[in-house]
Amino acid sequence: MTISIAVNTVERSFDVQPDEVLLDVLRREGYLEVKGSCHAGDCGACTVLLDGRPVASCLTLVAKVDGHAVTTVRGIGDQAHPHVLQEAFVKNGATQCGYCAPGAITSAKALLDENPDPTEEEIRLAMDSNYCRCTGYEQQVEAVLDAAAQLRKEHKK
Amino acid sequence: MGRITEYYHATSLEDAFAKAKQLGPVAAYVGGGVELVLRRNPEITVLIDLSRCGLDYITAAREGIEIGSQTTLTTISRSADIRQYAGGSLSWWAGHIAHNNLRDMITVGGVIGRNQPWNDVVPHLVALGAQVRLFDGAERITPLAGYIEAKQPGIIIKGVLLPAGNAGSNGFLWRFTRTLQDISTLHFSALVSSDGKLMTAANLVFAGRPGHTALYPGLSEELVGKSLSHETFARVAEMAPDLVEVGTDLRATGEFRRELVRAAIVNLEEHMTGVAQ
Ligand SMILES: Cc1cc2nc3c(=O)[nH]c(=O)nc-3n(C[C@H](O)[C@H](O)[C@H](O)COP(=O)(O)OP(=O)(O)OC[C@H]3O[C@@H](n4cnc5c(N)ncnc54)[C@H](O)[C@@H]3O)c2cc1C
Ligand code: FES
Ligand code: FES
Repeated sequence: MTISIAVNTVERSFDVQPDEVLLDVLRREGYLEVKGSCHAGDCGACTVLLDGRPVASCLTLVAKVDGHAVTTVRGIGDQAHPHVLQEAFVKNGATQCGYCAPGAITSAKALLDENPDPTEEEIRLAMDSNYCRCTGYEQQVEAVLDAAAQLRKEHKK
Repeated sequence: MGRITEYYHATSLEDAFAKAKQLGPVAAYVGGGVELVLRRNPEITVLIDLSRCGLDYITAAREGIEIGSQTTLTTISRSADIRQYAGGSLSWWAGHIAHNNLRDMITVGGVIGRNQPWNDVVPHLVALGAQVRLFDGAERITPLAGYIEAKQPGIIIKGVLLPAGNAGSNGFLWRFTRTLQDISTLHFSALVSSDGKLMTAANLVFAGRPGHTALYPGLSEELVGKSLSHETFARVAEMAPDLVEVGTDLRATGEFRRELVRAAIVNLEEHMTGVAQ
C-alpha cells in the first residue's frame, strides 16, 4: 500500500506493508537518526513526534500514520542548525554514547512546546520512556531546564 | 498479528462492523495498535482502523461523562471534566501509567479490548462504575464489569460512560509494583462515597491477583453505612485477605499478595480518614 507522510515538513510517499511499523519504514527510507533498541515500547530510543506528540515508532503501525506529520530529531535541528535543546544536551554532558539522545531530545521538545517552564518533576514524567544507560538522567534534566530557560529568554527579546 | 494482508481505514462504525462481520476472527480493530504490534496474533490477517470513525471525543452531559474509545490516555489525563471526576483519580493515573511515548498511543478502547490481568485502567473504570457503549449494528449500553466477563468478539466498543452519580465520590488506585515502571503484583482500585461521617457507597476492585479484574461486592458492602473510623477499616483489613482470591505466579506468592490486600485496605483508610496507620 502507498501512504503519504510529511516527514520533517517534507511531503513523502512510501510503499509499505500493512503490518510495518513506522520505525522500520523511517530507517529504510534513510532517516537513520531514528534509533531502534527494544522494539517493545520500553526504551524510548525510537521516539518521534506524530503531529507534535511523542510516540514510540517501534509500536506505531505505519498505515495509521497515513496523512499525518512526523518529526524526527533531525527535523528539530541538525549539525548546521542545532536546536537550543541539542546544544544544551552537549553543554550539560547529557549525552555520552548518544544512542538515547534522539529519543530523549524529541520527548523534551514535545514538553517544551507545551510547557515552556517545566518543573524537574514534569521533565522526568515527560521523559519517563527515555532510558539512558550512560548519563544517569540528572544531566538530561539539567539540560532541559537549561534549554527551557534559554528559550524563555529568547522569547522575551 | 501474523501476516497482515490488509489495513482497512473504516470511515464509520457501520463500515467497520460490516467489514469485521464479513471477515470473522481474522480481523481485529485497531485502537492505538500497541498491543496488536507487540503480540502479533498469528490468526489475525486484517486490521480495521477506527481512527476515522469519530470516536476520539470526551463529552460531559447530565448522565455523566462519555469517553470515545479512540481517546488516548494523554487526552484523558488532560480533560478538565475528568480531572474533576471522583477526585481526579482516573485523570492522574492516565497521565502516569505506561510511558510518555505510549500515553499518546494507548486508547481506552484498546485497553478494554485487551484487558490484561495486570491492566491498570480497566479495574479503575470498574471501580468508578463505568458502562460501555457498544456497537453491533445498533448501539447498546452495558456495565463494563459485565462486558469484560462475557466479551463478544466483533462488537465495537464505541465509548465508556462515567456515571454522573459517582462524580462527587472519591476514587483511589494503588498499583503494588517492584519498580515504578513495573506491572502490578497487585492492583487495588476503589470508589467510596461518604457524608463525612458514614460511608454511603463503595466499590472495591482487585486485579493482578494474578487473575483479571474482579469487583468484590461483599467486601464493598462491609464499608457501606459504617463510620469513617479505624475500627471499620481494621475489620475490613482483617477479613479482606481471606475474601480476595489471590494466587502465586512468577511475580509474587499468594501469601505475599494476601499481605498486599491487607495493605491496600490500610492505604484506603489513611486516605479516607486522613490518619496514617
Ligand atoms: C511498554 C509498555 C508499557 C505499558 N504499561 C502499561 C501500564 O503501566 N498500565 C497499563 O494499564 N497498561 C500498560 N501497557 C499496556 C497497554 O495499556 C495495552 O497494550 C493496551 O491494550 C494498548 O492499547 P491500544 O489502544 O494500543 O490497543 P490495540 O493494540 O489497538 O488493541 C488492543 C485490543 O483491543 C481491541 N480493540 C481496540 N479498540 C477496540 C474497540 N474500539 N472496540 C473493540 N475492540 C477494540 C484490538 O482489536 C485488540 O485486540 C503497556 C504497554 C507497553 C507496550
Ligand atoms: S525501540 Fe521503541 S521503545 Fe525501544
Ligand atoms: S548517552 Fe548512552 S544511553 Fe544515553
